[in-house]
Amino acid sequence: MDPSEVEFLAEKEVVKIIPNFSLDKIYLIGGDLGPFNPGLPVDVPVWLALNLKQRQKCRIVPPEWMDVEKLEEIRELERKEDTFTPVPSPYYMELTKLLLNHASDNIPKADEIRTLVKDIWDTRIAKLRLSADSFISQQEAHAKLDNLTLMEINTTRSFLLDTLNCMYKLRSNLQPGSKYISDVV
Amino acid sequence: MPCERKPMRYGHSEGHTDVCFDDTGKYIVTCGSDGDVRIWESLDDDDPKSINVGEKAYSLALKNGKLVTAASNNTVQIHTFPEGDPDGILTRFTTNATHITYNSSGSRVAAGSSDFMVKVVEMYDSSQQKTLRGHTAPILSVTFDPKDEFLASASCDGSVAVWKIEEQTQVTSWPLLQKSNDVINAKSLCRLAWQPKAAKLLAVPVETTVQLYQRDSWAQVGTLSDDLGTQAINVVAWSPCGKFLAAGSIGGLLTVWDVESKLCVERQTHEKGYTVCGLAWHPSGGQIAYTDTEGCLGVLDGLSSSSSSSSTTTSSTMTKAPASYDDLFDDDDDRPLDEGISEGARSPAKNPGDEDDDDDLIPATGRARNRSAFLDDENSLDTGSLKQGLDKFVDDVGSAIVLPAAVAAPLRPVYDGPMPTPPQKAFQPGSTPAHLMHRFMMWNSVGIVRGYNDDQDNAIDVEFHDTAVHHAMHLTNSLGHTVADLSQEAVLLACPGTDELASKLQCLHFSSWDTNKEWMVDLPKGEDVQALCLGQGWAAAATSALMLRLFSIGGMQRELFSLPGPVVCIAGHGEQLLVVYHRGTGFDGEQALGVQLLQFGQKRRQVIHGEPLPLSRKSHLSWLGFTAEGTPCFIDSEGVVRLLNRSLGNMWTPVCNTRDNCKGKSDHYWVVGVHENPQQLRCIPCKGSRYPPTLPRPAVAVLPFKLPLCQTTTEKGQMEEQYWRSVLLHNHYGFLSSSGYEIDEEGQSQAQKEQQELLMKMFALSCKLEREFRSVELAELMTQNVVTLAIRYASRSGRMALAQRLSDLALEKANQLQGEEPQEEEEEPLQYTRRNTGYSQSSSEMGADRQHSSHRQAQEEEVDEEQGQEEHMDEGDVAESKRQGLNPFAKGTAASPEKPSPKPVSKEGRVNPFKVSSGLGRSGSAGGQNRVTNVLDSMMSSSKKPTALLSSSGSTGKLNKTPFLKPLAPRPKTKTQSTLLHMNAPKAANKKAAEEREPAVCRLKQTEAPPPASPAEDVENKKHKSGFQLWLEDNRRIILADNPDLEETDVIKEAIGRFRTLSADDRLTWTERAKGQSGDVADMKKRKRGEESRGDKNGQSEADETRQSEADETSAKKKKPLDTSTKLSAFAFNKN
Repeated sequence: MDPSEVEFLAEKEVVKIIPNFSLDKIYLIGGDLGPFNPGLPVDVPVWLALNLKQRQKCRIVPPEWMDVEKLEEIRELERKEDTFTPVPSPYYMELTKLLLNHASDNIPKADEIRTLVKDIWDTRIAKLRLSADSFISQQEAHAKLDNLTLMEINTTRSFLLDTLNCMYKLRSNLQPGSKYISDVV
Repeated sequence: MPCERKPMRYGHSEGHTDVCFDDTGKYIVTCGSDGDVRIWESLDDDDPKSINVGEKAYSLALKNGKLVTAASNNTVQIHTFPEGDPDGILTRFTTNATHITYNSSGSRVAAGSSDFMVKVVEMYDSSQQKTLRGHTAPILSVTFDPKDEFLASASCDGSVAVWKIEEQTQVTSWPLLQKSNDVINAKSLCRLAWQPKAAKLLAVPVETTVQLYQRDSWAQVGTLSDDLGTQAINVVAWSPCGKFLAAGSIGGLLTVWDVESKLCVERQTHEKGYTVCGLAWHPSGGQIAYTDTEGCLGVLDGLSSSSSSSSTTTSSTMTKAPASYDDLFDDDDDRPLDEGISEGARSPAKNPGDEDDDDDLIPATGRARNRSAFLDDENSLDTGSLKQGLDKFVDDVGSAIVLPAAVAAPLRPVYDGPMPTPPQKAFQPGSTPAHLMHRFMMWNSVGIVRGYNDDQDNAIDVEFHDTAVHHAMHLTNSLGHTVADLSQEAVLLACPGTDELASKLQCLHFSSWDTNKEWMVDLPKGEDVQALCLGQGWAAAATSALMLRLFSIGGMQRELFSLPGPVVCIAGHGEQLLVVYHRGTGFDGEQALGVQLLQFGQKRRQVIHGEPLPLSRKSHLSWLGFTAEGTPCFIDSEGVVRLLNRSLGNMWTPVCNTRDNCKGKSDHYWVVGVHENPQQLRCIPCKGSRYPPTLPRPAVAVLPFKLPLCQTTTEKGQMEEQYWRSVLLHNHYGFLSSSGYEIDEEGQSQAQKEQQELLMKMFALSCKLEREFRSVELAELMTQNVVTLAIRYASRSGRMALAQRLSDLALEKANQLQGEEPQEEEEEPLQYTRRNTGYSQSSSEMGADRQHSSHRQAQEEEVDEEQGQEEHMDEGDVAESKRQGLNPFAKGTAASPEKPSPKPVSKEGRVNPFKVSSGLGRSGSAGGQNRVTNVLDSMMSSSKKPTALLSSSGSTGKLNKTPFLKPLAPRPKTKTQSTLLHMNAPKAANKKAAEEREPAVCRLKQTEAPPPASPAEDVENKKHKSGFQLWLEDNRRIILADNPDLEETDVIKEAIGRFRTLSADDRLTWTERAKGQSGDVADMKKRKRGEESRGDKNGQSEADETRQSEADETSAKKKKPLDTSTKLSAFAFNKN
């Protein structure tokens, strides 16, 4: 799976925008959107929000969790806990990236938020690597990881699987005849 | 004695704080461990000025515009006040200073430091320092002798010493305190205080008491203590008059003693019990500001009354009164004044915990301002009993009005009556207060006007919600505009006049098609714009000269008129202008506001003529405007939204209370717009304040409306609320269409459908609750189609009596409908009947007729001409019968044999007095039909014909209300029986069908028989009448000429005779004419057809009914009550 595909999925998330135009309801396959009243917040998918934003047709209201204080709390919790803590949004990384890249002027303290989310991401990826490491070193057959987001899984999937396959080959060569089966994450 | 403890508010971060007043008492100045000095204009100042003086500020002193602070960088710094510019360093220590103080003249500063030293520095020359050495531990506090001779200091070494400043020697020392190694470890801050003015006493807080030492002798002359004080006293402060001493303890107890009597005159506890570490008297003595170690600032207000014996304090409060009075409405004051009363009254006994917690945690709380001016009066009001009669009030009312301005102290005790409320200042709805540096000058449905007024910039930003209207604008505000309005066409700005410049009105008419997009008007000297608004094609400005000036949007001056009082605010929408002004003086916190609604455009008129504006108790107006649909609407400071109810004589109906939606006590909603369709109250949630900040840009939230109906938790209440809300909020359709705007037909029909659906649900509910009377009441509100559904529902659920009544109602409605139609279509022939409808109109009909009233009026004159003749006729014998038919009081004559059951009669008496005549009218026309058809047919047609006939002849539809219609319809005979049975003998319902059939058939026969017989004569007359009447009209003069001496009755008799002598053909032509007059034949046929189809429908529903009723009977036998859930009604709707 490509990261861009994950991002594509993330674009289905709903975000609030304040349009500066007036439009009746629009009827799409995914559901009805609108009506758009200038100055009145309305929920739209991220892809539309970004599109409108790029055309300067709206202001994006950042999601509630995209707030320095809340992210700091999450970061602290993430650092404190050994396991993965629940994240504010299953697409927190993608949304942060998308919104900050396109609508940083609508998001107060955009830089701090970027740093915080990156911190959270780094902490989690480090945890993920650590658990992959212990998984392999202890030669476990399976592992369970909660609260991982799609993007996080995606970053490690291809590498981990290849590695496991490779190691399996090596091990089966070392111990000919033994039926060691490594489970796949 | 009572004083008011104002709720505390957050000032600094946790840690040591200090507080003082500036020389005038205008500002409270605090410092805290966050290193900031904050300058508060009052406790409610949401935007205190901050000066950063270091990482931490330990102490501060302020005099003569010089602010001295002890900061953590071991220096004592000077800042100018109130600007806050650094003004050098006064002195340095090797560690931080712990306490600094000015002498009484402000020429010297004493500072005690943690390096055991006390320095006395001359302000004008910081090189002239005197160092007092002798303490062996950090200095806790220092205080000057007001006569500048001595200085007292307390230290952690446990000693309190008095120094002679000039000689830098210790005069005396007392080992009073517990020893400690540092200030933070000291049990008490031991802030000493020297009595001002007299300078006789030095107050030293020692443990839970305050010891007083006499000057010169340095002997302890007294101890002030309080039984309740269980914890060490931290700080003491003298009142400016030197008669009172206030002390704040570690436990948060604030005590005030009268020093002379050593009595505790005031006792308050900190609302959280935090340690009080800063205490300062207001220079006037009426107020104490205190801070705690949690960084909160509090104020005790109204101390003057506690010292009523002291003339100095009292008078000083008096002088302060006007100032605080004036700025009462200056800004965020939103607290109703009664809170002051109640708090003041109960404060001594108040539990410190009963204040809402969030108050002191939120920095920007919109809180009550200084109201010391009121306190005395309010308190006296509380205690003052009813013996203060009206005459006294009248006597004193004059003085009461001038009271705030020029109070004479002796007057006070005399006047005990209601106090006038300071009138609310003019404001612009949708703007935040003018004193804010960054403010919204206008936020409405079109866009936002922001005003910046800070050091760098004085500018105005105009931004449109819909960028299609216009692009954003940035203007430099060189004129100092303070009020603004924004519409789709223009931006209107105005500034108040100054000494040199007149008040200006500036309009940026951006929608203008020429190149000149701007115009400006100077107002006459001395006249200031106070409020302005924009409408469609016009602008209005209300001025301080009690005038309202209208301008065209292009800049032409239009009408101007005087306002009955000082304007509060104005709002415009389309061609409507809404003005709210002061009608008079309000009392006890109430505002006396009046409202005018004017309409320009085609028909200029005043819709509301200066009626009082109904505000909530003790509140003021906070928003005024129109809904997007053009209904006037306002919001008061209690958050209640009221909408003009045009259908209820322009009354104001509360539709929402924004405060109900607030989570915290100090949260508010700042309204920016009201929409009726969809039902939205657009507002900005303001956490802990009344107004939103400009940055970060606030987001709009949408609140629903909710009428404050009773018991809205119940299903019934909910539906009633929904129904009436829907009715109220769709009133604007009527208004819009009447004022010639096009309306959203779809929305209207949808609203109607929704209302009818709700009615049906309510109907089903009340059926379920066995409230049949209520059900009928509800059905009266329904449209005819829905009533048929209700009938079906009622009959299915086995409520035949109800169904019967409803069917009556349905007929009545149907006839009403038809009664209206001909009135619209046929004008000429209706004159006669219209007169009758005038007599018999029910209220609902009246409403329906209202729209035709204009054209009816026009015809009234015509009618008048003929009326005379008609009246004569009415008296005639022949017309008698007809009159019976129409006369509501002729009930007896109409008691036709078809009504054996007394029930319908009584009901008819209630529902419709004309009902009785229906039998007559119907049977009469049925008789007419008999000529051409057989009996059965006539029965059938009788159910349709009469309505057609009568309505076509323009007679009131109501006359045709025949309760027997259904039973008479021949097709479903069995069904008829059951209905009949229910009607006549409801208990018989359980009998077997066969048994029923027989009496029913009998009845049917009965009903069949009489019509031809009894009303035959009437029929003849009736039939005759129209033709005869016409003939009579033509021939009356001839008859009169022939027999001038005839009485009226005789004339008619004679006329009858002559008419009979006419040939049959002649008579026929007259009859034809009569027919032609009462409606052309084609039309009649059409209507008949309509009737028939309706009849068929009825028949069908009747058929359903029969089936249902049969089912009912069986089910009744099974004793299974029919489920009358709302599902059924929904089902009924679906079916339709």
